[in-house]
Amino acid sequence: MAYRHFEAIEKHAGLLGIGIAIMVSLGGLAEITPLFVEAHSLKAPANVHPYDPLRLAGKDVYVREGCYLCHSQMIRALRFETQRYGHYSTAEESVYDRPFQWGSKRTGPDLARVGGKYSDDWQRMHLLDPRSVVPQSNMPGYPWLAKAGIDGADIQARMRVLRKLGDPYSDADIAAAPEAVKGKTEMDALIAYLQGLGIKNEPTAAAPASDGGAP
Amino acid sequence: MSTGWSLWVMFLVVLNLGITFFLFLWGPRAKIPTQPDGTSGHVWAHGVLREGVRRLPMWWILFSGAMFVAAFIYLVLYPGFGNHKGALGWTSHGQLAGEQAANEAKLEPLMQRFALYTPEQLAGDPAARQLGQVLFEDNCAACHQRSGKGNQQLGAPDLTDQDWLYGGNGKDITTSIHDGRAGVMPPWASLGEQNVANLAQYVLSLSGSPHDAKMAAAAEPIFKTTCAACHGPDGKGNQAVGAPNLADHIWLHGGTLADITKTIHDGRQGHMPNWDKRLSDAQIHVLAAYVYHLSHPDAGATD
Repeated sequence: MAYRHFEAIEKHAGLLGIGIAIMVSLGGLAEITPLFVEAHSLKAPANVHPYDPLRLAGKDVYVREGCYLCHSQMIRALRFETQRYGHYSTAEESVYDRPFQWGSKRTGPDLARVGGKYSDDWQRMHLLDPRSVVPQSNMPGYPWLAKAGIDGADIQARMRVLRKLGDPYSDADIAAAPEAVKGKTEMDALIAYLQGLGIKNEPTAAAPASDGGAP
Repeated sequence: MSTGWSLWVMFLVVLNLGITFFLFLWGPRAKIPTQPDGTSGHVWAHGVLREGVRRLPMWWILFSGAMFVAAFIYLVLYPGFGNHKGALGWTSHGQLAGEQAANEAKLEPLMQRFALYTPEQLAGDPAARQLGQVLFEDNCAACHQRSGKGNQQLGAPDLTDQDWLYGGNGKDITTSIHDGRAGVMPPWASLGEQNVANLAQYVLSLSGSPHDAKMAAAAEPIFKTTCAACHGPDGKGNQAVGAPNLADHIWLHGGTLADITKTIHDGRQGHMPNWDKRLSDAQIHVLAAYVYHLSHPDAGATD
């Protein structure tokens, strides 16, 4: 390379842009591509099951209401997090979360293992009016969830789509869905979802099946 | 990572470091054609701004060189070069385990000392109370409030008074925290609206609250045959089943006529979660001491 090569790059914005794009993408190609491709070969551990119809409906309410904007579901492998929230999160736990709810911001606490920490009644009161149980809370209330019903056929359609994506729902599971959500409100569904977080998919106390992808 | 992806990462690391190292070596040596006035000939603003040609400062060259050395050392010591684990064998999970062990080792002497005492004795220990308060605010305050005064709307009992649903000694409190509690008041709407209204007046009469004596008297036989099974013939409750004492002025779900009527008519469910999965026995022991302290501020304050 001589000076004229350098001059060519410096004087042609297009060439300079391509050169920058190549150098900047090297980091992403090394860090993101392998995890992205290998994520599809991730297998659900024996204790992680697809969402039952009611919890599935609750998960969709959780996503629709944007709970992830203030609550993460990602306990990092740091002592002050595991001490407060429990075992750190692993990649396998989220295989049936589409989209995953790891989140990146905690205005409220992490919810990855909140299931069973409070009673159903507490969750209901808290969702209706958070300040009725936590006076200093700045969370908004979600009273309309208690009035909104769940459409069983809609849940069946969602289960069929998830089955196409690889979730192991059987025909019997899908057929039984309307019965499982009959008479339930979105509030019931969301509470069922929250109460299952970290309980039905908690890794065993022993070492996890893998390190979750990150060193 | 599979071997293929490992090689992919290695290739990119070598490529990236290779390109930048080449530029680092070549840059300072490049022959830049200079004009007689010592500039590169690049001009802006009609010649007001001209690009000079200067050697790179030595501090910059040394600093950049040090960066390459640091990158090399990092890739030898830590994970980063494909599947190479790093000479130090560092992992984030290993670091977490180490920090958890260090924290436990730090707390161990304290916990061993705490284990020598009952919750009642420990309630007088400032260190135990401090630790207990942190645990209480993290885990219990959502229902019982930071003050421990409870929440009547939720049916979370006041922990600062002397009225206990399941017993208030250290052992009972420990059991309540460890195993949780499930209180069930069945709905009595089937008795009929009039009987429910009469019963509410009778319940008010038990604690000497203002009530309609005639209605209360009419409900007495029903109370003695139905409610007394859990709340006792005199309404003083039963700690074995967590039936509240109705003869005092402390109310779990509210003590107005409307609250009591609703309680009888619709029933109530009380749910204290079990904490044995979330907290260690040592933590529950300390927490029980703190809860005991809430209602016995002077307990154990002898030493």
